[in-house]
Amino acid sequence: MPDAPSPLVQLDALTKTYREGEQDRTVLQEISLRLNRGDFSVLMGRSGAGKSTLLNLISGIDQPTSGRVQIGDTDLTGKSETARTRFRRSHVGFVFQSFNLISTLTVGENVRLPLELAGAAPRANRERGQAMLDRVGLADRADQFPDRLSGGEQQRVAVARALAHEPLLVLADEPTGNLDYDTGQAVLTLLSDLVTDTDTTLLVATHDPEVLPRADRVLHLHGGTLHEEVPEYIRSETRSAADER
Amino acid sequence: MTLLHRSSRRYLTRHPWLMGLSVLGVAIGVAVVVAIDLANTSASRAFELSAETVTGAATHQVVGAGGTLDDDVYRRLRAAGLRPSAPVVEGYGSLQQGDRTFQVVGIAPLADAPFRPYLGTGAGSDLDLGQFMTDDAALMSARTAEDLGLASGDTLRVGVEGTTQPVVLSGLIAPQNERTRRAVANLLVVDVSTAQRLFDQSGQLSRIDLLAPSDASAQEAYLARVREALPDGAQLQRSDTRTETVAQMTKAFDLNLTALSLLALIVGAFLIYNTMTFSVVQRRALIGQLRALGVTRGEVFRLVLGEAAVLGGVGSVFGLLLGIVLASGLVQLLAQTINDLYFVVEVSELSISTWTLAKGALLGMGTTLAAALPPAQEATAASVSTVLRRSTRESTLRRRAPGWAGLGLLVAGAGSLLLLGTEQSIWAGYGALFCVLVGTAFMIPWAVVGLSNGVRPLLGRVAGVIGRMAARGVVTNLSRTGVAIAALTIAIASTVGVGVMIDSFRGTVTSWLEQSLQADVYVQPPSLVFRRSTATIDSAVARRLRDVKGVEGAYSVRRVTVQANVGRTDLVAVEPGPETADVYQLKAGTPESAWPAVRAGPSVLVSEPYSYRYDVGVGDTLRLQTDRGQQPFAVKGVYYDYGSDLGVTLMSRSTYEQFYDDRGVSGLAFAAADTTSVDALIADMRASVAGLQDVLIRSNRALRETSMRVFDRTFTITTVLRLLAIAVAFIGVLTALMALALERRREMGVLRATGMTPPQVGGYLTLQSSLMGAIAGILSLPLGYVLAYVLVFVINKRSFGWTLQLTVPGDVLVQSLVLAVVAAFLAGLYPTWRMARSSPALALQDE
Repeated sequence: MPDAPSPLVQLDALTKTYREGEQDRTVLQEISLRLNRGDFSVLMGRSGAGKSTLLNLISGIDQPTSGRVQIGDTDLTGKSETARTRFRRSHVGFVFQSFNLISTLTVGENVRLPLELAGAAPRANRERGQAMLDRVGLADRADQFPDRLSGGEQQRVAVARALAHEPLLVLADEPTGNLDYDTGQAVLTLLSDLVTDTDTTLLVATHDPEVLPRADRVLHLHGGTLHEEVPEYIRSETRSAADER
Repeated sequence: MTLLHRSSRRYLTRHPWLMGLSVLGVAIGVAVVVAIDLANTSASRAFELSAETVTGAATHQVVGAGGTLDDDVYRRLRAAGLRPSAPVVEGYGSLQQGDRTFQVVGIAPLADAPFRPYLGTGAGSDLDLGQFMTDDAALMSARTAEDLGLASGDTLRVGVEGTTQPVVLSGLIAPQNERTRRAVANLLVVDVSTAQRLFDQSGQLSRIDLLAPSDASAQEAYLARVREALPDGAQLQRSDTRTETVAQMTKAFDLNLTALSLLALIVGAFLIYNTMTFSVVQRRALIGQLRALGVTRGEVFRLVLGEAAVLGGVGSVFGLLLGIVLASGLVQLLAQTINDLYFVVEVSELSISTWTLAKGALLGMGTTLAAALPPAQEATAASVSTVLRRSTRESTLRRRAPGWAGLGLLVAGAGSLLLLGTEQSIWAGYGALFCVLVGTAFMIPWAVVGLSNGVRPLLGRVAGVIGRMAARGVVTNLSRTGVAIAALTIAIASTVGVGVMIDSFRGTVTSWLEQSLQADVYVQPPSLVFRRSTATIDSAVARRLRDVKGVEGAYSVRRVTVQANVGRTDLVAVEPGPETADVYQLKAGTPESAWPAVRAGPSVLVSEPYSYRYDVGVGDTLRLQTDRGQQPFAVKGVYYDYGSDLGVTLMSRSTYEQFYDDRGVSGLAFAAADTTSVDALIADMRASVAGLQDVLIRSNRALRETSMRVFDRTFTITTVLRLLAIAVAFIGVLTALMALALERRREMGVLRATGMTPPQVGGYLTLQSSLMGAIAGILSLPLGYVLAYVLVFVINKRSFGWTLQLTVPGDVLVQSLVLAVVAAFLAGLYPTWRMARSSPALALQDE
């Protein structure tokens, strides 16, 4: 029997506690998880369940109260804030619910920003940026500012930006939350195609049951712990959404 | 340019008003500092230049005890073989043509050539020496003559101390270089004998210039020979002593102006802080996005500081240009004040020193970067996840407000310790003032929370929910409102402080004048320096005035400048009369012991500033240079005097005549007989001296009014500086409110969407800005009082040595409160108008 591939994301007993006034509130409790290279995983849970917190811990934006986060060979837990930032700029891509394009940069510049931060050569930057925009069908909008684009177009730019620097891991936080059904589906298709093509690991935090059929794994965050089964309320939501269509 | 920098540049250019106001704030701050510095430098440079020019190559000079020297001393030096040496008679005169003041220098042309070769009076020159030395002839700069439309052969009418005399312009000086050209621009060169006639100093010289050998031992031997040849009363000194003395005279005055000019920069720093904080607050989400994408804290920090550097750089450049423009106006005001208080100086042009400009630019950049440090830190210190939440910072700030207030109290306490720990340092005084200002600024957020919460129920009762929202809004946006209120508080408090100080000063001077001006009529020759007139009344004029019918008593006063062991001293000789003890109120010593001693012999009184400046008090002995050599005078009392910050030494006329040969009179005071009206007496006096020396004959009241006019004039610059500080603060509040309005577009959109009409939105925002003004006004009153206290009892005392009575006029306080509210109200108008008319749909769409 061949050895199991080493996981790209490895979380061990991850706990995150916030201090609220005089009391501590534990958002994540002893979470352990393995994500392999190329996995498309969905993280579900009610509002406030801690989905965004978990993404922040995985990307190194935030530090766990205890436990360990390892991406590839890098243990993020022991690293300084600057080292985590440098790791993130090279190896992690982000897609947000509200697009979060930099309003003072053009579409093309937004896509090139992670490349520039990662220290790529300007000429290669331009070519890669243009190729990514071409890939998401917005090559002709490169010189426009984000506020000239529709929501769907902005999210496509965000997808291009998240993948431009060929990260190991893409984290998407409610990527379809601000989009109508069709646009959301189009963005999801684009995102899943791109990660499949590049063998990138994708973790999508979402409420949207429409994402489930595309996923290799579905994770459910509830009461601060992670469960790898789809609860009944999500299954029924998925069925009724399909019926409506 | 990297994408981060490009993003930063676009942010600035997309907010032109924000950028414009910040640049303006820095520019005004820098401009005020540069303008004051340039004006100060130009005035002292003008004086130095004219002093150096008149001194020429002379290394030493011989001067007399009472300001003049018998011309026999010159002959003795020549007979002793001490050459080169040159006699000089100098003073100031006004030229009717062009209404300008000139330094009149009387020289002996042949002896003078080694000292002032640029005058072209040597043996080989084109000048008709015969005419120059025998007729009343004068030389002036060719450029000045051209400016005044004069040519060789024209007759000039030179006015000196009320007497106008003709001299003929016999030649023009054409200096070889620009420096000399500027130096001789206000010079009128005449022969010694002509100068003696103009200044009514027959047989008297101002000084004798000497050229000592440069070799040290030869110089010592030479100077020893000079000393041997000198009679009692004549003194040998280095030529540059005089320039140094003059620099000392205005040192405290210059320092106070500089400190005041820095006030505008401090207020400007608040403005920068405001702007940069706003730019961070507004871009908090954007910074969060950048951080999520992998931009490090250091990169964000550098980005914010880079923006500040650009604003500071552009602001400083504009500030330097504006400063030069402002300086050309201020320099005349400053020259006027120096002429009123200290000495004659004619500043014909601005000297723009590179050092001043570099200092201004450095100060502008430095202040901007320092003010941008906290917001830059703020942008980077927060972790990415909290950067995305704006309300976190506001609640953190509110929670920390008491801590900041405690820190503020410590800083203000440190300021107080600085005051207690030092006795004379003016800089320590200003350091303490700065600590109090900064300490108070730290306390303001806490006070704002308290006051806003306090007035919330009241505003609720008056204006309903809008009133409550307005009060609450000030607290929930503390990071914005706190700084704006702090800037306004400091500017208004400075106005209160300086206003109360000037009022206290004015009140003290008014009551002092009432006390000290007890005669009915005062006579003095017109003088170019108001406070230190040493001009002489013609003896014939004095005689005639004393004989006018209706004059019951006449008292003379003589003012001269002499050398004392402690330094240059203004000496006043008075004829003590029955009311003298009332006129001079003693601070130290008793009238019963002081006046009999002063009447009897070599005893003096010193004024309070003199006592402070030279640390001389009752029981000390002052050694004055007299015509009988250096003599000891016992100090018997210290009296209050607000006429001169340089200080005065007073002796009786009889003692003066015992030690000095001068018999001149600088001023006369007359008591009118009970049956005579003062106006009629003045008319008779004027008639009695018609055609003689033109003297000023004024009633007690007129002299008091003139004195107060000069007093007010000397504070014009202070008023200008206060106004500029308020202008900067006003811009600060405007920026803060604009920022707040922009930042709360979404909130306003929600309010509009939920049914608030544009006038209601307008009312809400106006109420809020007025509340901010009112809070600033209320906070500025105690701070202003503390500032006034420090200015009156510390800064003023340490700068000039005066004791002032602190009076707090109610109207200054009311005005300040109104000023604060009106300034905040006006600053709020534009942002309010913009918010009220903006589309709620657009505001809600905005992310």
